[in-house]
Amino acid sequence: MSGSIRSTGLSRRRIGQSALGLAAGTLAFPAILGAQAKAVKVGLIHPVTGFVAYNGQQNRLGATMAIEDINKAGGIKSMGGAKLEALLGDSQSKVEVGVSEVEKMNEAGVAAYIGCFQSPVAIAATQAAAKYNTPFLIDVAASDLIVKRGLKNVFRMKPGFGKCVDDGIAALGALSKGAAKTAVIVHENGEFGTGTAKLLAGKLPLIGIEAKEIIAHENPTRNFDNAALRIRTAAPDIVMMSNYGNEYMLLARTLFQQKVNVMGMFSVLGGGFNYKFVKEMADVSQYMMDTNHWYNPRSATAQALKKRVEAAGSLFTFEVYLSYTAVSLLADALERAGSAEKDALTAALASSTFKADLMPYGPTKFVDGQNQGGVPGVMQSLKGEIEVVAPAEFSSATAVFPRPKVS
Amino acid sequence: MRSRFGLLCAAGLVAALVYPLLFGGPVALLWRSNYAVNTGFLILFVAFIGQSWNIAGGFAGQTSFGHVVFFGTGAYVSTILHVTYGWNPWLAWPLAAAAGALVGWMIAVLSFRAGLKGSYFALITLAFAEVFRILANSVPITRGGLGMLIKADPRPENFQFRDAISFYYLALALCVLSIGIAWWLTRSRFGARLAAIRENEDAAMALGIDVFREKVRVLALSGAMCAAGGTVYAQKYLYIDPVIAFGVDKSVEMLLVSMVGGAGTIFGPLVGAGVLHIVGEVTRDLGNLVPGVKNAQPLALIVYGAILILIVRYLPDGLTSMFVRRGRAPRNG
Repeated sequence: MSGSIRSTGLSRRRIGQSALGLAAGTLAFPAILGAQAKAVKVGLIHPVTGFVAYNGQQNRLGATMAIEDINKAGGIKSMGGAKLEALLGDSQSKVEVGVSEVEKMNEAGVAAYIGCFQSPVAIAATQAAAKYNTPFLIDVAASDLIVKRGLKNVFRMKPGFGKCVDDGIAALGALSKGAAKTAVIVHENGEFGTGTAKLLAGKLPLIGIEAKEIIAHENPTRNFDNAALRIRTAAPDIVMMSNYGNEYMLLARTLFQQKVNVMGMFSVLGGGFNYKFVKEMADVSQYMMDTNHWYNPRSATAQALKKRVEAAGSLFTFEVYLSYTAVSLLADALERAGSAEKDALTAALASSTFKADLMPYGPTKFVDGQNQGGVPGVMQSLKGEIEVVAPAEFSSATAVFPRPKVS
Repeated sequence: MRSRFGLLCAAGLVAALVYPLLFGGPVALLWRSNYAVNTGFLILFVAFIGQSWNIAGGFAGQTSFGHVVFFGTGAYVSTILHVTYGWNPWLAWPLAAAAGALVGWMIAVLSFRAGLKGSYFALITLAFAEVFRILANSVPITRGGLGMLIKADPRPENFQFRDAISFYYLALALCVLSIGIAWWLTRSRFGARLAAIRENEDAAMALGIDVFREKVRVLALSGAMCAAGGTVYAQKYLYIDPVIAFGVDKSVEMLLVSMVGGAGTIFGPLVGAGVLHIVGEVTRDLGNLVPGVKNAQPLALIVYGAILILIVRYLPDGLTSMFVRRGRAPRNG
């Protein structure tokens, strides 16, 4: 036995040293594991099934891409490189399911939630999260009720429909210069469309436009022939739309096919004004305008992300970059808080001055959970491309208004 | 047999009473889990509103596709009284139930006077629910599509609870009450008349049963129960809009839990709600577990649908029929 040890050149002392080394290594290994920072769990709650499943999936895409990017860049450095870990939830467009996801994720130990696309789900889910004092970042959900209930845990980077309407009306007034006198508003009959339409109807007179008719429609609606006939009869100068994707595109196509001539089609939070619509229906969308969340076209970061998203076969829709931005805001707050502890994280979010690279936003400043720096863009479809026409400092083209008549 | 059934019921009730204490309360006996308590709440709550459907659709054979009309009525009546007129929601609750009964009475009178029955009645209830949804979207008192927000003020006297366990016990009480009503229907003359109407309306009439009156009464009772559920929902989630209150998915849910559990049985809605809810929760999580597929959650609905098809295919009389066929549970169990 000893001979064989000698023959391999291993002395008793060396064996002892090796054993010590092995023991030290074994003991050290858990220490190394222990030194690895604990992952920070982020609950993503979106409607990835149901009638707005596409939008929810786009939200999820943006959020998970941001998490991947943050982790690749070394995680949260002030927390020892802690990685972000996404917990994926499906609200199924139902309030009670959204709340159930909040409860489930709370038990999984989430540091913060991001969601919910639909305002009713967001209202109930943020309320449920408030019980645990867990920060809830609204990536998409337009209702201003979400940030008007005094909940300290709710933060929304993007502007709500109040701000979008104000900026949209101002942009329309600047373009119209008194030429347009009447409008018809078409909106989906849920919280988002009704709220936006109500605000629009109240503010249009400020720029000399009278809302002649307000047409509400169901979700989903599969035929807009009657709405088009009503619009033709009312003969407005402007058609304003505020609805979800499918209905937006269908209404636009119906008006185009029926050759309804107006000075402009101007939407506020038009759910369908995106690359898919503009590229696939270039003739229908030509000259249509929308006030909506939009990325900063002059941002290299935004352009690079757009290329990546498109290379992966997806569209760079507003859900993608708003969710990406929400995750980036959270990461920034974690970095500054140096902890995922809820009070510290909430305080870090409340005092955030995060610079949203992707968005045409000013410095972040939360007042009652609403970011005051968030502004919408005014876009126009021109030759199969979406161009930003306002605000001027981010614009990529000059608006065409009034639109040439359809023959 | 009867005593064994009673023993089973008592054991089930004790289990239901103890369940939330395992996961909540002052000392959680297993571990603290509001999710588990909340899931229990949802099962009992859906069982309750499912039972309201079952009383009309299962016991009396008056199948409705638009039971949500009562649910929404209850939710809106109590919320309007509370938010707009400052009523205490506990006081508004019985009024909401009364409004549900009134709507049930109105729909029944209009439909049955016109001689609607079977699928025609089912469709007219769907139409009523849609009319109510459009009304809720249009009239100012409901704030239309903007919906109604109830101010969060979690105090029991305000019908709001800080802990999930209180809502659980409220739902349990309602569920037990609804089971009691269903049990009473299996033993009362009123229930016997409903069964006769369900089996053969003409024969029931020939026996001297006032079919019209009994059908109106059962729909009013069912409407009151469902409306009471609407108030609970509004107070739990603190926000309603026309789609939440009158959306067709709630009607489908009520109908589904009763059909899957066993329409016209005492425990059908509870069994159906339990099974469907647990299957729903599990399949929703399965979506997260499929390796290599990023957006697997939609697959969960396919699994859910497949399970439903299997239940309907192999147990057309509902899950409770498993026990009846084996002769291990009494009739209507």
